[in-house]
Amino acid sequence: MQTTPQPTRRAVLGGAAAVAVAAAGALALDAALAVPAAAAPAAATDLVSADPIAHLLRRATFGPTPAALAEATRLGVAGWLDRQLDPARIADGELDALLTRLPLAGASIATVRAKLPKHSYEAFGQLGRAAVARAIWSNRQLFETTAMFWANHLHVAAPSSGVWDSRADYDASVIRAFTFGRFADMLKASARHPSMLTYLDNRSSTRKQPNENYARELMELHTVGMIYSEADVKAAARLLTGLSIDANGEYAYSAAKHATGAVSILGFQHANATAEGGEAAALAFLDHLAHHPATAERIATKLCLRFVADEAPASLVTRLARVYLDHGTAIAPVLRALFTSAEFAASVGRKVRTPFEDLAATVRALGLGPETSGVAGLDALYNSLVNAGNAPFRWAPPNGFPDVASAWASPSAFLMRCNSHLNLAAGWYPKQLTRPTNMLKALVPVLPPTYGGLVDALAVRLVGTELPAAHTAAVLSVAGKVPTSPLTSTDKAVAGSLPYLIALVLDSPSFQLR
Amino acid sequence: MTATACCDESKTLTRRGVLARGLAAGAAGALAGLVGEGLSTRLAFAAGAYTGDTLVVLSLRGGFDGLSAIAPIGDADYYRARPSIAVPKSQVIGGNAMFGLHPALAPLLPMWKNGSLAAVHAVGQPNPTRSHFAAMEEMERAAAGTSLRSGWLDRMLGVTGATGPLAGVSLGTAMPARLFAGAATDVSMATVDGFTLAGESATRPMAAALRAMYGSAPGPLSGPALAADAALTATVAPRAAYTPANGAVYPKTPLGTALRDVARLIKSRSGLVAAAVDSGDWDMHEGLGTAVKGQRMYDNLAQTAAALAAFAADLGPSGMAHVTVVTVSEFGRRVAENASKGVDHGHGNAMLLMGGGVRGGTVYSAWPGLAPGALVDGDLAATTDYRAVIGEILQKRCGFGSLADVFPGVVPASFGLATAR
Repeated sequence: MQTTPQPTRRAVLGGAAAVAVAAAGALALDAALAVPAAAAPAAATDLVSADPIAHLLRRATFGPTPAALAEATRLGVAGWLDRQLDPARIADGELDALLTRLPLAGASIATVRAKLPKHSYEAFGQLGRAAVARAIWSNRQLFETTAMFWANHLHVAAPSSGVWDSRADYDASVIRAFTFGRFADMLKASARHPSMLTYLDNRSSTRKQPNENYARELMELHTVGMIYSEADVKAAARLLTGLSIDANGEYAYSAAKHATGAVSILGFQHANATAEGGEAAALAFLDHLAHHPATAERIATKLCLRFVADEAPASLVTRLARVYLDHGTAIAPVLRALFTSAEFAASVGRKVRTPFEDLAATVRALGLGPETSGVAGLDALYNSLVNAGNAPFRWAPPNGFPDVASAWASPSAFLMRCNSHLNLAAGWYPKQLTRPTNMLKALVPVLPPTYGGLVDALAVRLVGTELPAAHTAAVLSVAGKVPTSPLTSTDKAVAGSLPYLIALVLDSPSFQLR
Repeated sequence: MTATACCDESKTLTRRGVLARGLAAGAAGALAGLVGEGLSTRLAFAAGAYTGDTLVVLSLRGGFDGLSAIAPIGDADYYRARPSIAVPKSQVIGGNAMFGLHPALAPLLPMWKNGSLAAVHAVGQPNPTRSHFAAMEEMERAAAGTSLRSGWLDRMLGVTGATGPLAGVSLGTAMPARLFAGAATDVSMATVDGFTLAGESATRPMAAALRAMYGSAPGPLSGPALAADAALTATVAPRAAYTPANGAVYPKTPLGTALRDVARLIKSRSGLVAAAVDSGDWDMHEGLGTAVKGQRMYDNLAQTAAALAAFAADLGPSGMAHVTVVTVSEFGRRVAENASKGVDHGHGNAMLLMGGGVRGGTVYSAWPGLAPGALVDGDLAATTDYRAVIGEILQKRCGFGSLADVFPGVVPASFGLATAR
């Protein structure tokens, strides 16, 4: 099964130790709290399965399921990537049926305006719930993880004032339309979308008094990063004047607002001689930014942070940036190169799940299905993410959610995750999701003869590998059992303890890693 | 320097000047702090538990417009630069001939009048960036020109030696605060009430099971889990049913809820040394609005003021005697308004200080003026380093000797803006 060269154990341990030391400085680890156990800190690679298929699915999906693992095992890494990169050929009927209950999630501006009162939050709500549903139940998992990456990169906060009518359309016609396409096209679409032009204020920018907000974030966040000068911001703000919005809330270029005059920005030169030609000049600038080597490196770095490790491997960044430029900013070849790289293979256990990823992975691992009618269960899932500070699109500033473990390493978030595991495992909340009739049988079809065997089976099913022996013992302690405690099919205690055992397996360090 | 000083000397304090002096002092100060005064401060704290003020840092995110909040009504150039959004002289409340409080700050007027609320103007950081994200990181790290990667509140906790699980708390978010990034103990909570572990009982010791699993987990995983465990025990008391004192009514806003929780932690004697609270939506490139209800800046300021006023009322004078609240923001706004009746990113800002030890009712500033020639790239020149202001609080109210371990190279302000404990 293992087709890629595996790093030596020493190298992995050394790497993990280095990460741990670096991270300790950034975390609230009080020496006095640490359990003075004889055991050295476990390495991340001891906590998760190193199987390449399992590793791929932990990263490229919102959490492995038995069905997804079986399919990926059958197709192999390359075959699975090929299939996932062609999402139109993957059936997704169950999800599509669910999404009909959220008709405004991808609605056009005109539709939202026709159906909702001005400044209604309803479209934001449906969009956010659709994102949760897609992450959990779509069969097009690589498309969904990648779409989320782009939505976070070209972030327009939802809810946020002003984009009540256009944010759903932005998701459909900018992010999802180009998710596997060329970044240059997505960037230009975003620059001509009312959502972006509103969120970053370009709609009201004029030639006499340019508004600098979009120009700055376009360079700093969307493309080249902080290599720009204040003169670049001023010039770009002038060049982007005129990209605006009409009375219907649709994109419109306004020559009257455009500031003419030659510009020179980060290697881009344009005469920008006429007001009528201002839009073409702006689009040429956007193309220039999309193809800039600094943009290639930034997108490669961000993809590595998303899918590989919190410390992006420099060698992989360089290679992916090259692939990005060689393919005219197309993303699919970059993803293929990333997931088949040695650096990716060597990154087992080096990413921690965000609250959103943890929730999606939990629902997927437990085999919970969408509710049979309505969206009350989706509401509950979404709202739990609001509390965790990680509901889709809800990050207020335009830089998007952080994508490294230290940004989420909080005691509060840890407790929320544990509480959510128990609520979902027990079926307490949300109650509406469909559940296997017999959760124990669904997760462990054949009961092993001991409680230790039961937790092993649960862990293999939910996490992909058995837990370390000490963790298994810890899980069993809430049931007053030890690993050798006998288990029979007539044991009544197991039913009462099951939600707690499942929850603790999901609470384990192993499940936090992806 | 005294309140609202407009002396000749102050006009020469350009941002560049502040920066240069900060850097020169920084190299020497950072080293000295490790063996000299900083060490003696630490030893002093080590002799007993922390007895200084609880410091509450309110981060106004997005670039707070200090020129609206504390309007320079005595500066004619203010009105020239902002023809449609300047706060008219006739509408300000409090202040003096030079500065006026924005009318939306009315809930804070009693504190202004009783001398427990002050403002500092023309404040900035020695960092010319106009990127929100770079500026916030620098502000929270607060150690320009050094390789320090911790947050300054973390370093503050380190000097005090406070190790209780609730010594440093950020309220209102589950996300860890960068202000606390580093080795000292801290915890973030969306709310005190929500900080619980489901399923825990005498017969099902979930917390003990988690402790056992995370004791030897890799650092990035074990840190939050073990801190959560310790904080769960420590929050039993503050989680008790809570009624604000003195009829205080907190607005039902994220800030109101967060400050209410800070008050709970203080009143339950939980060992809180420093609290971090965020309040966003200050990035007003568009439609900042005039100084009347329903306008963006007005409404934001009004909500902020209502939450702070409720906090002060809840704690009462005896409680506030041991608390200092400071507001910070990553940068200010451009002096001139743009075509969208908003203001783009700029520098030179105002800070608010509230507490029993604050010498309030006045605006402290080495005011450089808003004449075109006095501006730096269209911005109010920053004449005071925000760290110097906090530094004075650390020394006067928190019992610090040297600032070297918290703000390397920074000399505390000499405004006399707080009384010594």
